[in-house]
Amino acid sequence: MRRALLLSLGLLVPGVVAAQSSQFGVRGLGAPGRGLTARAVGSAGAFGLFDPESSVNPAALATLPAMTATFTGVQDYRHVENPAGRQSVRESRFPQLAIGGPIKRFPMVLGLSFSNYTSRDFTLASADTIVLRGVPVPVSDTFASRGGLSDLRFAASYRIRDNWIVGGSFHVITGTNRLTSVRAFADPAFQPAHQSSEISYAGVGLDVGMIRSFGPKFSVAAIARTDGRALVDRDSTRVSDVDLPYTFGLGFRWRPSPKLEVATQGIYRTWSGANSDLLAQGGTGSENTYQVAFGGELTPDPRRPFRRPIRFGARYGTLPFPLVPGEQPTEFGVSLGTGARFAQQRAGVDLSLEHVWRSAGDYSERAFLVTVGVSIRP
Amino acid sequence: MKQAVRWAVCVAAIAAGALACQEHLTSPGQCPELCPGGEPTVFDTVLTPVPGSDESVSGYVSRGGGVTLLTSNGLPASEDRAVYRIASRLDSITVRDTARAYSVDSVSLAVTIVARDTLVNGLKIFLYRLPADISVDTATFAGIDPQLAPAALIDSILVPDSVNTGQVSTMLRGADVDRVALPVGTGGVLAIGVKISADSPTGVRLGSIAGNNAATFNTFVTVAVPDTTTSIVHQQLSRSAQFNTFVTQTPYTAAPGTLLIGGEPSSRAFIRFKLPSRIKDSATVVRATLELLPVAPILGLPTDRPILESRAVLSDLGPKSPLTEQASLISQDTLILGSTDTVRLEITRVIQLWQASDERPEEVALRLGGPAVPGAIAEGATFTRTLFGSTDPASPVGPPRLRITYLLAFPFENP
Repeated sequence: MRRALLLSLGLLVPGVVAAQSSQFGVRGLGAPGRGLTARAVGSAGAFGLFDPESSVNPAALATLPAMTATFTGVQDYRHVENPAGRQSVRESRFPQLAIGGPIKRFPMVLGLSFSNYTSRDFTLASADTIVLRGVPVPVSDTFASRGGLSDLRFAASYRIRDNWIVGGSFHVITGTNRLTSVRAFADPAFQPAHQSSEISYAGVGLDVGMIRSFGPKFSVAAIARTDGRALVDRDSTRVSDVDLPYTFGLGFRWRPSPKLEVATQGIYRTWSGANSDLLAQGGTGSENTYQVAFGGELTPDPRRPFRRPIRFGARYGTLPFPLVPGEQPTEFGVSLGTGARFAQQRAGVDLSLEHVWRSAGDYSERAFLVTVGVSIRP
Repeated sequence: MKQAVRWAVCVAAIAAGALACQEHLTSPGQCPELCPGGEPTVFDTVLTPVPGSDESVSGYVSRGGGVTLLTSNGLPASEDRAVYRIASRLDSITVRDTARAYSVDSVSLAVTIVARDTLVNGLKIFLYRLPADISVDTATFAGIDPQLAPAALIDSILVPDSVNTGQVSTMLRGADVDRVALPVGTGGVLAIGVKISADSPTGVRLGSIAGNNAATFNTFVTVAVPDTTTSIVHQQLSRSAQFNTFVTQTPYTAAPGTLLIGGEPSSRAFIRFKLPSRIKDSATVVRATLELLPVAPILGLPTDRPILESRAVLSDLGPKSPLTEQASLISQDTLILGSTDTVRLEITRVIQLWQASDERPEEVALRLGGPAVPGAIAEGATFTRTLFGSTDPASPVGPPRLRITYLLAFPFENP
């Protein structure tokens, strides 16, 4: 029965590798991904720096007890509002795939993950009337984008002593962005114009991370990451390169009681480094971002911590690519989640529900994000 | 019970998963904020042919070689007479391995009406006997029309006003048969000329050999066969047209500065352009219209409108240039009679072909014809002849124009 439940939950996560999209990902490189598993999302990402199955902190890998494969999917139900109107949209994506495990007789854990770096999945529709050959002709424009940047991470972590873990990882940042513009005319004498372009990205990054435990109840995690520059090719021709950000993160985890564990973290990214590159290409630039999150996990039965815990959290942050220059979008979300492990903890399912509000001036959206994670320890 | 609930949850989860697969990402857009790269911009430009490169060429379908023959009486578009020469009728019939003479009891002559002006009543078709040696070389309007006199009249056929198309015929018996008599030793060839009358000036298009519906000549004969007892054998001798043509009072020719399309023998026009590199290399053409300026009002047979057709030229070999048979590269328009308005043909696909292939000449061929099977035209089978302006400085109305509406490459943000 549990296998059937696992299978059915697995079917909930169709689609392609990408994170949830946003109208605030229309400009620049898109909406940044978070590299979190469903378990971490349940507490708004507050445990992200400590979660071994997420792709945020390579040091956290060391807490994996066995070889583990994790598969995360997101179903996004979003309501978009802007001066052109309002619309409800939805999509399904896989933002995070990861596998990792310890090396026998050596205090090291290796991991490989494939996560979303930025997402540019959107379709925008607008209508207008233009004069052609002296006659007003209604036109409808559709601008669509699919794809974005993905982050392939090779990570290792090493447990120095019981209370110190360090890790590092190498990132290959790559992906393509397929753009299409369609203009259709109300007058059938004019044929629709389909134009498309494919933008591909390539870059590499490095990061280091650590976790320091101060006894069984309190620990601190930190990361520092540099992603260098992304080379941008348009239809196989080099057109530009874009500075990718440095990332700095700090997190705290505290267990005030056997049933409750809370955490908080903050992550800062220097996206403003890409500002001049994006402005040079006619974009609206970029700004530094920060994200703070607070969350907890309530365990009804401390002896069986994986049996239906209750996760909760809230987060707030900024997004890097403004729609209107100088008007940086912000994001606020609250989340709730749970999960279960079974088959002698060889398999697990995590669920989280997140409600997110994003806004910048006249542009806003709110979304329900259903995240499902399946992890298997073969 | 608990097991059933779990299975219900599984089924519900699978159903929810299937529904979740449906992606709907379209949201309203607002420019310039939500238009990375900008908006599509539509341009409109007018090109003229390469000066001196447009031409009209005659001789594609000879007079009478089309699927219909023209006959008219006072039609402003054209004054025509149709001519048929029937295949030779033998002087004898072979019965029981013996060639035997026969006597003619009666004959019938039939012609096929392909099109007429349905608004003109009282149509009458007159059949006249012509010399049997009529040929395309000797058939001229000046030579034929005087022979269509009462003395040569075979018979007339009153066409009911309700009959718009189809075969009409006349039967000659008794002494009337002498009007089509083919005495022994004269070759047995009957030639007829066709003239019409009606309540008002009009014309008809008659069937032809090319259309498999030319005039027919049936002879009903009696053969005397001597035997132990004399018996009579009745036979029918059917003959169809072996040659047909029509003659025109005022053949059209292309005046200086004009492009002649249609007429007899049929003319085609070839127009050559040179696309600017801005359009050829990177534009998305959404509409291209070939505009032709008539030199004079377009005349023809009312209710039987001619069709102007444009085809992409596959290779520029002058008058022998092969034309496309691909439907998407052929455009047609029905001409409005009496109009001097600009004639427009949509040739967007042709321009897109020019963009896609350097092998294809930037050239279109124009043909004119009457309605035929759907999608095709009958060249050399319409009363209409059109004269359009050319690039020649002597053109009274100006050259053809190619109006192209296009978008340049969308400026996608890099980013």
